[in-house]
Amino acid sequence: MTTATSTAATRLFIPNTAVGVIVAIALVIPFFGSTYHITLAVNLCVTLILTLSLNLVVGSSGQFHLSHAAFFGLGAYTSAVLAKTVGIPPLLCLPLSVLLVCTLALLVGLPTTRLRGLYLAVATLAFSLFVEVFVNQGGALTGGGYGIQDVPALTISGTVLSGRAFYPLALLLMLLVAGSLYGLMRSRLGREILAVRDHSDAAAAAGINPPVIRTLVLVIAAGFAAIAGWLHCFYHLALNASLVSPELTFVWFFMVLVGGIGNVRGVVIGTVLLTLLPEFLGVATGQTILGIGVLMIIVTLFAPRGLGGVLDDAIARFGKARS
Amino acid sequence: MLSSLAQVLLSGLQIGCIYALMALGYFVILRATGILNFAQGEWMMISGVLGVVLIAFGVPYYLALLAAIAGAVLLALAAERAIIRPLQARGAPQPIVLLSLFGTMLVARYGTGVLFGRQDLPLDGPAGSGITIIGEANFIANQTLVVYAITAAAFFGVAIFMTRTWLGRSLRVASIDPLAASLIGVDLTRVRVVSFGLGALIAATCGWLYFPLYAVGYLNGSIPGIKGFIALFVGGMATTMGPLAGGLALGLVEVAASFYLPSIYAEGAAFVLLMIILVAKPSGLTGGKES
Repeated sequence: MTTATSTAATRLFIPNTAVGVIVAIALVIPFFGSTYHITLAVNLCVTLILTLSLNLVVGSSGQFHLSHAAFFGLGAYTSAVLAKTVGIPPLLCLPLSVLLVCTLALLVGLPTTRLRGLYLAVATLAFSLFVEVFVNQGGALTGGGYGIQDVPALTISGTVLSGRAFYPLALLLMLLVAGSLYGLMRSRLGREILAVRDHSDAAAAAGINPPVIRTLVLVIAAGFAAIAGWLHCFYHLALNASLVSPELTFVWFFMVLVGGIGNVRGVVIGTVLLTLLPEFLGVATGQTILGIGVLMIIVTLFAPRGLGGVLDDAIARFGKARS
Repeated sequence: MLSSLAQVLLSGLQIGCIYALMALGYFVILRATGILNFAQGEWMMISGVLGVVLIAFGVPYYLALLAAIAGAVLLALAAERAIIRPLQARGAPQPIVLLSLFGTMLVARYGTGVLFGRQDLPLDGPAGSGITIIGEANFIANQTLVVYAITAAAFFGVAIFMTRTWLGRSLRVASIDPLAASLIGVDLTRVRVVSFGLGALIAATCGWLYFPLYAVGYLNGSIPGIKGFIALFVGGMATTMGPLAGGLALGLVEVAASFYLPSIYAEGAAFVLLMIILVAKPSGLTGGKES
């Protein structure tokens, strides 16, 4: 697993302020833009929560878990079913769906902690595929292939939060998730997670329990994925089975990789780039998946350390040419 | 009519053979290189699509069959040369290789959809639609007999190849200790090319067994592709018997579940079976030592 360092090149060429300015522009536009911009920005917030939390599992913790789409989709479906069928207030659906998804992640995480590498990937992929079948075949509960429409909108003290009014909430939750991940990696627990990834036996000798840490990471990430699912559910107020497609996990993992695995700033850059680029290029007309496939091959072949790595290599070549 | 139990057994064995063949394709590549080649189902699909296209152009059936299989294998070899070889040469970590193969899978799948259209088309099996009468009033489709025969031949051939030939043995040793293998004269590049070619050959042949039961379409390699690696992990990969046992077990469990249980359990049965196996016995049904 590539380790988590922000490279010299990203520090040189993409200073924090530049990233900050770009992200700020992307986040402020929706306050003035059209419905299209708002939808794009909410989807960006949702995807950022997903890639940042996936990065915690795959990058910081080094576990190749392929069940993130299942946790996201189940978070969205739980929220929709609770709000529409059971009639629970949308705001209360957030803690409930997070709780349910975290419990499920615990049930998946405990037996799979002893699996490594390919075995872990295949076992969690099987879980994700099962969730997809479950949602597709769920009958009246999940609406099968048609999904669930007309989910009651979120209201806070009498005000309906939809469209433009919903966006600040998505932004706030995204920043909260990003902030808590930032804080987590700087806490004692964060150092324990890195220690378990880099040297499990040494960490165990130092009194850390690796299986507990690995499971905990999965549960935390699944909880964040459920928050993303809740946001998606109450912005779009409709959902279908494409939300639980296991292929989504690969796309998010790709976003993580484009920026540079383990590097939070890289993850943000990768996610923003791969969410907005297809829109700007207009390939969203039908060949998006084909385009993502081509990009996956190109990036894994030529830029496996992400954008920062590419710039690093360019600088190294430039330096060599001059001397 | 056959009794319901016999019916379950026969159709379970047929789909089980197809899963076993797909698992065998993954097995050959995984044993030689340690790579789980996500694109296997797509080589199968491309073989079927090429077959339909060639037959539509008036190419004789068996010539179309051979050309379609050869075309799919050539594509797989091209992908090995262009994508896998540079990644292996660099020693890329497993998640990167998997992501690259996932991209290859997407390109093969949706590229085929763009080039050849998105409709589902029928493909005749090599045995046509004939039947063989068994006993008084029972029959079995000739295509089913072809499936059994090809499966038996493929497993027999691969087992002999992997245990009795120098190249086959070097395939087995290459992933266990690549450095030691190369020191005793195993050409790792050759091993990888042979394993990817053989894996694609098995998958492409399997297309002509599977698609006559359903239809050819750019999305239709996905499910047998997934079931194939599930069968491999269910059966285990210690010996060639692993994919066979896994495929047959998976086929029987699935058909039994769809026969006796509501559809939600039937479609999910494969994934539940795999999760149980991986948690209880990660080395699979036939695996000896814990992996």
